[in-house]
Amino acid sequence: MPEMTPVQTLLIAIIQIVLVIAFVFVVVPLTIFAERKVLGFVQQRLGSTRIAGKLRGITGLQNRFMWGMGRFPIIHYFRGLPGLVGDIVKLFIKEDIRPAKADRFVYLIAPCVSMIAAMLVYAMIGFYPGTLFTIPSFIPLIGGLPVGGTIADVNVGLLMLLGIASVGVYGIVLGAWASNSKYPLLGGLRSAAQMVSYEVPLTISMLTPVILAGSLNFNEMTRVTATGLSPWGVIPLFIGFFAYITCGFAESNRLPFDMPEAENELVAGYHTEYSGMRFGLFYLAEYINMSIVAALASAFFFGGPWLLPFGLQRFIPETAFWIGQPHWYIFAVKIVFFLFVYIWVRGSWPRYRYDQIMDVAWKYLIPMTLVNLVLAGIVRYFA
Amino acid sequence: MKKFLKTLIPTELAKGLLLTGKWFCQVMFSPNRGKSKLHIVDEYPEVPAKVQPRFRGRLQLLKDAQDEIICVCCMACIKACPTNAISLVAGKKEGRKTRIPESYDFELERCIFCGFCVESCTFNAIALNHQFELAVYNREDMAIGLGGVFQSIDKPSPVGKFSYSGKE
Repeated sequence: MPEMTPVQTLLIAIIQIVLVIAFVFVVVPLTIFAERKVLGFVQQRLGSTRIAGKLRGITGLQNRFMWGMGRFPIIHYFRGLPGLVGDIVKLFIKEDIRPAKADRFVYLIAPCVSMIAAMLVYAMIGFYPGTLFTIPSFIPLIGGLPVGGTIADVNVGLLMLLGIASVGVYGIVLGAWASNSKYPLLGGLRSAAQMVSYEVPLTISMLTPVILAGSLNFNEMTRVTATGLSPWGVIPLFIGFFAYITCGFAESNRLPFDMPEAENELVAGYHTEYSGMRFGLFYLAEYINMSIVAALASAFFFGGPWLLPFGLQRFIPETAFWIGQPHWYIFAVKIVFFLFVYIWVRGSWPRYRYDQIMDVAWKYLIPMTLVNLVLAGIVRYFA
Repeated sequence: MKKFLKTLIPTELAKGLLLTGKWFCQVMFSPNRGKSKLHIVDEYPEVPAKVQPRFRGRLQLLKDAQDEIICVCCMACIKACPTNAISLVAGKKEGRKTRIPESYDFELERCIFCGFCVESCTFNAIALNHQFELAVYNREDMAIGLGGVFQSIDKPSPVGKFSYSGKE
Protein backbone atom coordinates (compact mmCIF):
# COMPACT_ATOMS: atom_id res chain seq x y z
CA MET A 1 0.00 0.00 0.00
CA PRO A 2 1.44 3.40 -0.92
CA GLU A 3 2.06 5.88 1.86
CA MET A 4 -0.84 8.33 2.11
CA THR A 5 -0.69 12.03 2.88
CA PRO A 6 -3.02 13.35 5.62
CA VAL A 7 -5.28 14.93 2.99
CA GLN A 8 -5.63 11.66 1.14
CA THR A 9 -6.36 9.81 4.37
CA LEU A 10 -9.02 12.35 5.23
CA LEU A 11 -10.63 12.17 1.80
CA ILE A 12 -10.77 8.40 1.86
CA ALA A 13 -12.21 8.47 5.38
CA ILE A 14 -14.89 10.87 4.16
CA ILE A 15 -15.76 8.52 1.32
CA GLN A 16 -16.06 5.67 3.79
CA ILE A 17 -18.19 7.77 6.12
CA VAL A 18 -20.56 8.71 3.31
CA LEU A 19 -20.83 5.06 2.34
CA VAL A 20 -21.56 4.04 5.92
CA ILE A 21 -24.20 6.76 6.33
CA ALA A 22 -25.86 5.71 3.10
CA PHE A 23 -25.78 2.12 4.29
CA VAL A 24 -27.34 3.08 7.61
CA PHE A 25 -30.10 5.14 6.03
CA VAL A 26 -30.97 2.27 3.73
CA VAL A 27 -30.76 -0.53 6.25
CA VAL A 28 -32.41 1.09 9.25
CA PRO A 29 -35.76 1.84 7.53
CA LEU A 30 -35.71 -1.69 6.19
CA THR A 31 -35.26 -2.92 9.75
CA ILE A 32 -38.25 -0.87 10.82
CA PHE A 33 -40.27 -2.38 8.00
CA ALA A 34 -39.04 -5.86 8.84
CA GLU A 35 -40.05 -5.28 12.44
CA ARG A 36 -43.62 -4.54 11.40
CA LYS A 37 -43.80 -7.59 9.18
CA VAL A 38 -42.12 -10.00 11.56
CA LEU A 39 -44.18 -8.84 14.52
CA GLY A 40 -47.25 -9.38 12.38
CA PHE A 41 -46.22 -12.87 11.35
CA VAL A 42 -45.33 -13.78 14.91
CA GLN A 43 -48.85 -12.84 15.98
CA GLN A 44 -50.49 -14.59 12.99
CA ARG A 45 -51.23 -11.28 11.33
CA LEU A 46 -49.94 -9.99 8.01
CA GLY A 47 -48.04 -6.92 9.17
CA SER A 48 -48.31 -3.74 7.18
CA THR A 49 -49.97 -4.41 3.85
CA ARG A 50 -51.41 -1.07 2.85
CA ILE A 51 -51.22 2.68 3.32
CA ALA A 52 -53.72 5.08 4.79
CA GLY A 53 -55.94 6.70 2.20
CA LYS A 54 -59.18 6.49 0.35
CA LEU A 55 -60.71 3.88 -1.85
CA ARG A 56 -60.27 6.14 -4.85
CA GLY A 57 -57.41 8.29 -5.99
CA ILE A 58 -53.73 7.51 -5.96
CA THR A 59 -53.75 5.87 -2.53
CA GLY A 60 -56.66 3.69 -3.54
CA LEU A 61 -54.84 2.69 -6.69
CA GLN A 62 -51.73 1.88 -4.68
CA ASN A 63 -53.69 -0.12 -2.15
CA ARG A 64 -55.47 -2.08 -4.84
CA PHE A 65 -52.15 -2.77 -6.53
CA MET A 66 -50.65 -3.96 -3.27
CA TRP A 67 -53.63 -6.19 -2.65
CA GLY A 68 -53.11 -7.68 -6.07
CA MET A 69 -49.51 -8.39 -5.15
CA GLY A 70 -50.81 -10.50 -2.29
CA ARG A 71 -51.40 -13.40 -4.64
CA PHE A 72 -47.71 -13.84 -5.40
CA PRO A 73 -45.78 -15.92 -2.90
CA ILE A 74 -42.63 -13.91 -2.14
CA ILE A 75 -43.57 -10.48 -3.42
CA HIS A 76 -46.42 -10.07 -0.98
CA TYR A 77 -43.99 -9.65 1.92
CA PHE A 78 -43.09 -6.23 0.55
CA ARG A 79 -46.58 -4.84 0.16
CA GLY A 80 -46.24 -2.28 2.94
CA LEU A 81 -43.10 -0.61 1.61
CA PRO A 82 -44.85 2.51 0.23
CA GLY A 83 -46.24 3.07 3.70
CA LEU A 84 -42.72 3.08 5.07
CA VAL A 85 -41.73 5.80 2.59
CA GLY A 86 -44.75 7.76 3.75
CA ASP A 87 -43.63 7.39 7.36
CA ILE A 88 -40.18 8.74 6.61
CA VAL A 89 -41.57 11.68 4.64
CA LYS A 90 -43.89 12.40 7.55
CA LEU A 91 -40.97 12.44 9.98
CA PHE A 92 -39.15 14.94 7.80
CA ILE A 93 -41.96 17.38 7.11
CA LYS A 94 -43.69 17.32 10.48
CA GLU A 95 -43.60 20.46 12.58
CA ASP A 96 -40.86 20.52 15.17
CA ILE A 97 -42.50 21.50 18.44
CA ARG A 98 -40.48 22.67 21.42
CA PRO A 99 -42.13 22.86 24.84
CA ALA A 100 -42.23 26.41 26.18
CA LYS A 101 -40.36 25.72 29.41
CA ALA A 102 -37.83 23.31 27.89
CA ASP A 103 -34.14 23.94 28.26
CA ARG A 104 -33.56 25.00 24.70
CA PHE A 105 -29.94 24.10 24.10
CA VAL A 106 -29.98 20.73 25.83
CA TYR A 107 -33.31 19.92 24.23
CA LEU A 108 -31.81 20.52 20.81
CA ILE A 109 -28.58 18.59 21.25
CA ALA A 110 -29.97 15.55 23.08
CA PRO A 111 -31.13 13.67 19.95
CA CYS A 112 -27.85 14.55 18.25
CA VAL A 113 -25.88 13.07 21.14
CA SER A 114 -27.95 9.93 20.92
CA MET A 115 -27.50 9.65 17.17
CA ILE A 116 -23.79 10.51 17.13
CA ALA A 117 -22.99 8.02 19.86
CA ALA A 118 -24.79 5.36 17.87
CA MET A 119 -23.19 6.24 14.54
CA LEU A 120 -19.64 6.57 15.87
CA VAL A 121 -19.52 2.91 16.80
CA TYR A 122 -19.82 2.07 13.12
CA ALA A 123 -16.32 3.48 12.67
CA MET A 124 -14.89 0.45 14.45
CA ILE A 125 -16.99 -2.18 12.70
CA GLY A 126 -15.47 -3.78 9.66
CA PHE A 127 -18.12 -4.22 7.02
CA TYR A 128 -15.97 -5.80 4.39
CA PRO A 129 -12.86 -7.95 4.65
CA GLY A 130 -9.81 -6.22 3.21
CA THR A 131 -10.25 -3.63 0.51
CA LEU A 132 -13.72 -2.60 -0.51
CA PHE A 133 -12.71 -1.09 -3.87
CA THR A 134 -9.85 0.83 -5.41
CA ILE A 135 -10.49 4.36 -6.59
CA PRO A 136 -9.93 4.60 -10.38
CA SER A 137 -6.66 6.30 -11.26
CA PHE A 138 -8.10 9.17 -13.35
CA ILE A 139 -9.48 10.87 -10.24
CA PRO A 140 -7.01 13.52 -9.03
CA LEU A 141 -5.40 13.44 -5.60
CA ILE A 142 -6.76 10.10 -4.47
CA GLY A 143 -6.65 8.03 -7.66
CA GLY A 144 -5.41 4.48 -7.28
CA LEU A 145 -5.78 4.34 -3.52
CA PRO A 146 -7.67 1.50 -1.84
CA VAL A 147 -10.77 2.12 0.24
CA GLY A 148 -10.79 -0.28 3.17
CA GLY A 149 -13.81 -2.03 4.62
CA THR A 150 -13.24 -0.52 8.07
CA ILE A 151 -13.04 3.20 8.81
CA ALA A 152 -10.83 2.95 11.88
CA ASP A 153 -8.99 -0.31 12.49
CA VAL A 154 -8.16 0.35 16.15
CA ASN A 155 -6.10 -2.07 18.18
CA VAL A 156 -8.07 -1.45 21.35
CA GLY A 157 -11.36 -1.64 19.51
CA LEU A 158 -13.20 -3.19 22.43
CA LEU A 159 -12.40 -0.35 24.84
CA MET A 160 -13.32 2.29 22.31
CA LEU A 161 -16.58 0.55 21.46
CA LEU A 162 -17.64 0.35 25.09
CA GLY A 163 -16.60 3.92 25.74
CA ILE A 164 -18.60 5.37 22.89
CA ALA A 165 -21.59 3.12 23.41
CA SER A 166 -21.92 4.28 27.01
CA VAL A 167 -22.24 7.89 25.83
CA GLY A 168 -25.59 6.92 24.32
CA VAL A 169 -27.25 7.05 27.73
CA TYR A 170 -26.53 10.79 27.86
CA GLY A 171 -28.74 11.42 24.87
CA ILE A 172 -31.66 9.78 26.61
CA VAL A 173 -31.09 11.34 30.04
CA LEU A 174 -30.43 14.83 28.67
CA GLY A 175 -33.44 14.70 26.37
CA ALA A 176 -35.61 13.47 29.21
CA TRP A 177 -34.45 16.17 31.59
CA ALA A 178 -34.59 19.00 29.09
CA SER A 179 -38.17 18.25 28.07
CA ASN A 180 -39.39 19.67 31.40
CA SER A 181 -42.19 17.15 31.68
CA LYS A 182 -42.74 14.42 34.22
CA TYR A 183 -43.11 11.39 31.96
CA PRO A 184 -39.84 11.94 30.11
CA LEU A 185 -38.12 12.63 33.40
CA LEU A 186 -39.31 9.35 34.88
CA GLY A 187 -38.25 7.51 31.75
CA GLY A 188 -34.86 9.17 31.79
CA LEU A 189 -34.24 8.34 35.44
CA ARG A 190 -35.13 4.72 34.87
CA SER A 191 -32.98 4.52 31.79
CA ALA A 192 -30.00 5.99 33.65
CA ALA A 193 -30.25 3.31 36.34
CA GLN A 194 -30.94 0.55 33.86
CA MET A 195 -28.21 1.34 31.38
CA VAL A 196 -25.57 1.92 34.05
CA SER A 197 -26.50 -1.39 35.66
CA TYR A 198 -26.37 -3.36 32.47
CA GLU A 199 -23.09 -1.84 31.36
CA VAL A 200 -21.33 -3.95 34.00
CA PRO A 201 -22.40 -7.46 32.91
CA LEU A 202 -22.13 -6.37 29.29
CA THR A 203 -18.48 -5.50 29.70
CA ILE A 204 -17.69 -8.58 31.77
CA SER A 205 -19.37 -10.88 29.27
CA MET A 206 -17.44 -9.29 26.43
CA LEU A 207 -14.22 -10.14 28.23
CA THR A 208 -14.86 -13.86 27.70
CA PRO A 209 -13.71 -13.96 24.07
CA VAL A 210 -10.85 -11.64 24.98
CA ILE A 211 -9.59 -14.11 27.55
CA LEU A 212 -10.13 -17.07 25.24
CA ALA A 213 -8.22 -15.40 22.44
CA GLY A 214 -5.65 -13.81 24.72
CA SER A 215 -5.70 -10.57 22.78
CA LEU A 216 -7.51 -7.26 22.59
CA ASN A 217 -6.77 -6.95 18.89
CA PHE A 218 -9.91 -7.41 16.89
CA ASN A 219 -8.45 -9.45 14.06
CA GLU A 220 -6.51 -11.73 16.39
CA MET A 221 -9.63 -12.32 18.49
CA THR A 222 -11.67 -13.09 15.39
CA ARG A 223 -9.07 -15.52 14.11
CA VAL A 224 -8.84 -17.43 17.36
CA THR A 225 -12.58 -17.69 18.03
CA ALA A 226 -13.20 -18.85 14.49
CA THR A 227 -10.36 -21.30 13.97
CA GLY A 228 -8.22 -21.93 17.03
CA LEU A 229 -10.89 -22.41 19.68
CA SER A 230 -10.64 -25.53 21.83
CA PRO A 231 -13.91 -27.52 22.07
CA TRP A 232 -14.21 -26.66 25.77
CA GLY A 233 -14.07 -22.99 24.91
CA VAL A 234 -17.51 -23.16 23.36
CA ILE A 235 -19.13 -23.47 26.81
CA PRO A 236 -18.00 -20.15 28.30
CA LEU A 237 -18.45 -18.52 24.92
CA PHE A 238 -22.06 -19.67 24.81
CA ILE A 239 -22.88 -18.58 28.36
CA GLY A 240 -21.19 -15.29 27.69
CA PHE A 241 -23.21 -14.90 24.53
CA PHE A 242 -26.51 -15.28 26.37
CA ALA A 243 -25.46 -12.81 29.03
CA TYR A 244 -24.28 -10.44 26.33
CA ILE A 245 -27.44 -10.59 24.25
CA THR A 246 -29.57 -10.00 27.37
CA CYS A 247 -27.52 -6.95 28.27
CA GLY A 248 -27.60 -5.85 24.65
CA PHE A 249 -31.40 -5.86 24.69
CA ALA A 250 -31.31 -3.78 27.85
CA GLU A 251 -28.67 -1.41 26.50
CA SER A 252 -30.56 -0.68 23.32
CA ASN A 253 -33.81 -0.16 25.29
CA ARG A 254 -35.72 -2.83 23.49
CA LEU A 255 -38.50 -4.96 24.81
CA PRO A 256 -38.58 -6.79 27.21
CA PHE A 257 -36.37 -4.14 28.84
CA ASP A 258 -37.95 -0.97 27.47
CA MET A 259 -37.97 0.94 30.74
CA PRO A 260 -37.00 4.36 29.27
CA GLU A 261 -39.74 4.24 26.69
CA ALA A 262 -42.38 2.26 28.63
CA GLU A 263 -45.22 2.79 26.20
CA ASN A 264 -47.70 1.21 28.54
CA GLU A 265 -46.91 3.29 31.63
CA LEU A 266 -45.21 6.52 30.65
CA VAL A 267 -46.67 8.02 27.51
CA ALA A 268 -43.64 7.47 25.35
CA GLY A 269 -40.91 7.82 27.95
CA TYR A 270 -37.97 10.03 27.18
CA HIS A 271 -39.16 11.19 23.75
CA THR A 272 -42.69 12.17 24.72
CA GLU A 273 -42.11 15.85 23.97
CA TYR A 274 -40.15 15.30 20.79
CA SER A 275 -41.69 15.46 17.36
CA GLY A 276 -40.62 15.61 13.77
CA MET A 277 -37.07 14.73 12.83
CA ARG A 278 -35.77 15.13 16.38
CA PHE A 279 -37.93 12.21 17.38
CA GLY A 280 -36.75 10.57 14.19
CA LEU A 281 -33.15 10.83 15.36
CA PHE A 282 -34.00 9.02 18.60
CA TYR A 283 -35.90 6.46 16.58
CA LEU A 284 -33.01 5.92 14.19
CA ALA A 285 -30.53 5.75 17.05
CA GLU A 286 -32.50 2.94 18.64
CA TYR A 287 -32.37 0.87 15.48
CA ILE A 288 -28.72 1.68 14.84
CA ASN A 289 -27.96 0.50 18.37
CA MET A 290 -29.83 -2.70 17.59
CA SER A 291 -27.72 -3.38 14.55
CA ILE A 292 -24.56 -2.54 16.48
CA VAL A 293 -25.41 -5.01 19.22
CA ALA A 294 -26.11 -7.59 16.51
CA ALA A 295 -22.81 -6.84 14.79
CA LEU A 296 -20.84 -7.07 18.02
CA ALA A 297 -22.57 -10.32 18.98
CA SER A 298 -21.47 -11.85 15.71
CA ALA A 299 -18.01 -10.32 15.97
CA PHE A 300 -17.23 -11.41 19.52
CA PHE A 301 -19.17 -14.60 20.07
CA PHE A 302 -19.96 -15.97 16.64
CA GLY A 303 -16.50 -16.28 15.25
CA GLY A 304 -15.86 -12.81 13.95
CA PRO A 305 -17.74 -10.93 11.30
CA TRP A 306 -16.72 -12.88 8.27
CA LEU A 307 -16.04 -16.41 9.50
CA LEU A 308 -18.11 -19.31 10.75
CA PRO A 309 -18.88 -19.50 14.48
CA PHE A 310 -17.63 -21.86 17.23
CA GLY A 311 -14.39 -22.93 15.62
CA LEU A 312 -16.24 -24.52 12.71
CA GLN A 313 -14.05 -22.65 10.27
CA ARG A 314 -11.14 -25.04 10.67
CA PHE A 315 -13.18 -27.98 9.35
CA ILE A 316 -13.94 -26.12 6.14
CA PRO A 317 -11.21 -26.18 3.50
CA GLU A 318 -10.11 -22.74 2.37
CA THR A 319 -11.14 -23.51 -1.18
CA ALA A 320 -14.77 -24.16 -0.24
CA PHE A 321 -17.13 -22.31 -2.54
CA TRP A 322 -19.00 -19.86 -0.29
CA ILE A 323 -17.79 -20.29 3.24
CA GLY A 324 -14.10 -21.09 2.86
CA GLN A 325 -12.85 -17.51 2.82
CA PRO A 326 -13.95 -14.51 4.85
CA HIS A 327 -16.93 -12.93 3.13
CA TRP A 328 -19.24 -10.06 3.85
CA TYR A 329 -22.37 -12.13 3.35
CA ILE A 330 -21.59 -14.32 6.33
CA PHE A 331 -21.59 -11.09 8.34
CA ALA A 332 -24.84 -10.01 6.73
CA VAL A 333 -26.52 -13.31 7.52
CA LYS A 334 -25.43 -13.08 11.14
CA ILE A 335 -26.66 -9.50 11.53
CA VAL A 336 -30.00 -10.28 9.92
CA PHE A 337 -30.40 -13.28 12.18
CA PHE A 338 -29.71 -11.28 15.33
CA LEU A 339 -32.05 -8.50 14.26
CA PHE A 340 -34.69 -11.15 13.71
CA VAL A 341 -34.04 -12.48 17.21
CA TYR A 342 -34.58 -8.95 18.54
CA ILE A 343 -38.00 -8.72 16.94
CA TRP A 344 -38.86 -12.31 17.74
CA VAL A 345 -38.16 -11.75 21.42
CA ARG A 346 -40.18 -8.55 21.34
CA GLY A 347 -43.15 -10.42 19.92
CA SER A 348 -42.89 -13.30 22.37
CA TRP A 349 -42.11 -12.13 25.86
CA PRO A 350 -43.88 -9.81 28.26
CA ARG A 351 -42.08 -6.83 29.76
CA TYR A 352 -40.12 -6.99 32.97
CA ARG A 353 -41.11 -4.89 35.93
CA TYR A 354 -38.58 -2.29 37.00
CA ASP A 355 -37.42 -4.10 40.13
CA GLN A 356 -37.21 -7.34 38.16
CA ILE A 357 -34.90 -5.66 35.67
CA MET A 358 -32.62 -4.57 38.49
CA ASP A 359 -32.81 -8.08 39.98
CA VAL A 360 -31.80 -9.68 36.71
CA ALA A 361 -28.83 -7.38 36.33
CA TRP A 362 -27.39 -7.37 39.83
CA LYS A 363 -28.48 -10.71 41.28
CA TYR A 364 -28.14 -13.00 38.29
CA LEU A 365 -26.23 -11.54 35.36
CA ILE A 366 -23.25 -10.07 37.19
CA PRO A 367 -22.51 -13.23 39.27
CA MET A 368 -23.13 -15.36 36.19
CA THR A 369 -20.74 -13.41 34.03
CA LEU A 370 -18.11 -13.39 36.76
CA VAL A 371 -18.32 -17.17 37.13
CA ASN A 372 -18.20 -17.42 33.37
CA LEU A 373 -15.08 -15.29 33.32
CA VAL A 374 -13.38 -17.67 35.75
CA LEU A 375 -14.54 -20.58 33.61
CA ALA A 376 -13.04 -18.97 30.54
CA GLY A 377 -9.78 -18.48 32.41
CA ILE A 378 -9.72 -22.16 33.40
CA VAL A 379 -10.38 -23.20 29.81
CA ARG A 380 -7.67 -20.86 28.61
CA TYR A 381 -5.16 -22.20 31.14
CA PHE A 382 -5.74 -25.93 30.82
CA ALA A 383 -7.03 -26.46 27.30
CA MET B 1 -32.14 -23.16 44.69
CA LYS B 2 -34.97 -24.29 42.44
CA LYS B 3 -36.00 -20.70 41.81
CA PHE B 4 -32.40 -19.80 41.09
CA LEU B 5 -32.06 -22.60 38.56
CA LYS B 6 -35.39 -21.65 36.98
CA THR B 7 -34.15 -18.12 36.49
CA LEU B 8 -30.84 -19.33 35.20
CA ILE B 9 -32.29 -21.82 32.70
CA PRO B 10 -35.39 -20.11 31.30
CA THR B 11 -37.38 -22.98 29.86
CA GLU B 12 -40.65 -21.05 29.83
CA LEU B 13 -39.08 -18.30 27.77
CA ALA B 14 -37.83 -20.91 25.31
CA LYS B 15 -41.33 -22.37 25.08
CA GLY B 16 -42.75 -18.95 24.26
CA LEU B 17 -40.11 -18.39 21.62
CA LEU B 18 -40.86 -21.76 20.04
CA LEU B 19 -44.59 -21.03 19.85
CA THR B 20 -44.19 -17.63 18.23
CA GLY B 21 -41.46 -19.02 16.00
CA LYS B 22 -43.85 -21.69 14.80
CA TRP B 23 -46.48 -19.09 13.98
CA PHE B 24 -43.92 -16.95 12.21
CA CYS B 25 -42.79 -19.85 10.04
CA GLN B 26 -46.38 -20.83 9.27
CA VAL B 27 -47.36 -17.39 8.06
CA MET B 28 -44.02 -16.53 6.47
CA PHE B 29 -43.55 -19.72 4.51
CA SER B 30 -47.13 -20.48 3.53
CA PRO B 31 -46.69 -20.88 -0.23
CA ASN B 32 -49.99 -19.41 -1.34
CA ARG B 33 -51.67 -17.09 1.06
CA GLY B 34 -54.95 -17.19 -0.82
CA LYS B 35 -55.29 -20.97 -0.90
CA SER B 36 -54.02 -22.00 2.52
CA LYS B 37 -54.73 -19.23 4.94
CA LEU B 38 -52.66 -19.55 8.11
CA HIS B 39 -53.07 -16.03 9.41
CA ILE B 40 -56.15 -15.16 11.42
CA VAL B 41 -56.95 -11.72 10.06
CA ASP B 42 -58.97 -10.66 7.02
CA GLU B 43 -58.07 -8.04 4.47
CA TYR B 44 -61.33 -6.26 5.00
CA PRO B 45 -61.90 -3.44 2.52
CA GLU B 46 -60.81 -5.50 -0.46
CA VAL B 47 -62.20 -8.82 0.70
CA PRO B 48 -65.79 -8.87 1.98
CA ALA B 49 -65.77 -9.32 5.70
CA LYS B 50 -67.32 -12.46 7.08
CA VAL B 51 -69.46 -11.97 10.16
CA GLN B 52 -70.72 -14.59 12.57
CA PRO B 53 -74.03 -16.25 11.63
CA ARG B 54 -75.82 -14.71 14.60
CA PHE B 55 -74.58 -11.21 13.84
CA ARG B 56 -77.31 -8.57 14.26
CA GLY B 57 -77.14 -5.90 11.61
CA ARG B 58 -79.79 -3.66 10.10
CA LEU B 59 -83.49 -4.55 10.23
CA GLN B 60 -84.90 -5.79 6.96
CA LEU B 61 -88.38 -6.82 5.84
CA LEU B 62 -88.24 -10.23 4.22
CA LYS B 63 -90.11 -11.28 1.11
CA ASP B 64 -91.52 -14.65 0.08
CA ALA B 65 -91.03 -16.56 -3.16
CA GLN B 66 -93.57 -14.38 -5.01
CA ASP B 67 -91.50 -11.28 -4.11
CA GLU B 68 -94.21 -10.13 -1.72
CA ILE B 69 -93.72 -8.84 1.80
CA ILE B 70 -94.49 -11.52 4.36
CA CYS B 71 -95.42 -9.10 7.15
CA VAL B 72 -99.10 -9.30 8.28
CA CYS B 73 -99.04 -6.22 10.54
CA CYS B 74 -99.60 -8.03 13.82
CA MET B 75 -97.71 -5.19 15.59
CA ALA B 76 -95.74 -7.66 17.76
CA CYS B 77 -92.44 -6.07 16.77
CA ILE B 78 -93.69 -2.62 17.72
CA LYS B 79 -94.70 -3.87 21.16
CA ALA B 80 -91.41 -5.69 21.61
CA CYS B 81 -89.21 -2.80 20.56
CA PRO B 82 -87.67 -1.21 23.68
CA THR B 83 -86.73 2.03 21.95
CA ASN B 84 -89.84 2.55 19.81
CA ALA B 85 -87.77 2.43 16.68
CA ILE B 86 -90.49 0.76 14.57
CA SER B 87 -93.84 2.12 13.53
CA LEU B 88 -96.14 0.82 10.82
CA VAL B 89 -99.48 1.56 9.19
CA ALA B 90 -101.50 -1.48 8.14
CA GLY B 91 -103.18 -1.57 4.76
CA LYS B 92 -104.99 -3.89 2.40
CA LYS B 93 -104.09 -5.30 -0.96
CA GLU B 94 -106.21 -6.94 -3.67
CA GLY B 95 -106.03 -10.73 -3.68
CA ARG B 96 -104.33 -11.05 -0.31
CA LYS B 97 -106.18 -12.39 2.70
CA THR B 98 -103.93 -10.88 5.35
CA ARG B 99 -103.03 -7.27 5.85
CA ILE B 100 -99.94 -5.75 4.35
CA PRO B 101 -97.92 -2.80 5.68
CA GLU B 102 -98.79 0.43 3.95
CA SER B 103 -95.75 2.04 5.50
CA TYR B 104 -93.13 0.50 7.72
CA ASP B 105 -90.87 3.09 9.33
CA PHE B 106 -87.67 2.13 11.09
CA GLU B 107 -85.47 4.64 12.90
CA LEU B 108 -81.92 3.36 12.57
CA GLU B 109 -80.69 6.07 14.92
CA ARG B 110 -82.72 4.70 17.81
CA CYS B 111 -82.25 0.99 17.12
CA ILE B 112 -80.09 -0.81 19.67
CA PHE B 113 -79.87 -4.03 17.63
CA CYS B 114 -81.32 -6.14 20.43
CA GLY B 115 -83.18 -8.46 18.11
CA PHE B 116 -86.39 -8.57 20.18
CA CYS B 117 -88.49 -7.68 17.14
CA VAL B 118 -87.14 -10.67 15.25
CA GLU B 119 -87.80 -12.93 18.21
CA SER B 120 -91.35 -11.67 18.61
CA CYS B 121 -92.22 -12.12 14.93
CA THR B 122 -94.19 -15.34 14.54
CA PHE B 123 -94.25 -15.15 10.75
CA ASN B 124 -90.49 -14.85 10.21
CA ALA B 125 -91.18 -11.70 8.29
CA ILE B 126 -88.28 -9.57 9.54
CA ALA B 127 -84.62 -10.22 10.18
CA LEU B 128 -81.52 -8.40 11.22
CA ASN B 129 -79.29 -8.88 8.21
CA HIS B 130 -75.52 -9.10 8.22
CA GLN B 131 -74.76 -5.53 7.21
CA PHE B 132 -72.59 -3.48 9.48
CA GLU B 133 -71.48 -0.59 7.28
CA LEU B 134 -74.48 1.62 8.01
CA ALA B 135 -73.01 5.11 7.96
CA VAL B 136 -74.86 7.70 5.86
CA TYR B 137 -74.12 11.29 4.97
CA ASN B 138 -77.52 12.80 5.84
CA ARG B 139 -79.34 12.29 9.06
CA GLU B 140 -82.64 11.87 7.22
CA ASP B 141 -81.31 8.75 5.56
CA MET B 142 -81.27 7.05 8.93
CA ALA B 143 -85.07 6.95 8.90
CA ILE B 144 -85.76 3.96 6.70
CA GLY B 145 -89.16 3.22 5.23
CA LEU B 146 -90.79 1.35 2.40
CA GLY B 147 -89.80 2.61 -1.02
CA GLY B 148 -87.30 5.13 0.24
CA VAL B 149 -85.11 7.11 -2.10
CA PHE B 150 -81.78 6.22 -0.57
CA GLN B 151 -82.46 2.91 1.10
CA SER B 152 -85.57 0.87 1.59
CA ILE B 153 -86.51 -1.34 4.51
CA ASP B 154 -87.22 -4.33 2.27
CA LYS B 155 -83.80 -4.21 0.59
CA PRO B 156 -80.30 -4.39 2.04
CA SER B 157 -78.53 -1.08 2.50
CA PRO B 158 -76.69 0.20 -0.57
CA VAL B 159 -73.99 1.67 1.69
CA GLY B 160 -72.48 -1.65 2.61
CA LYS B 161 -70.38 -2.05 -0.46
CA PHE B 162 -68.08 -4.68 0.95
CA SER B 163 -70.16 -6.46 3.54
CA TYR B 164 -72.58 -9.00 2.24
CA SER B 165 -76.07 -9.36 3.56
CA GLY B 166 -76.76 -12.95 4.41
CA LYS B 167 -80.54 -12.75 4.04
CA GLU B 168 -81.51 -11.08 0.81
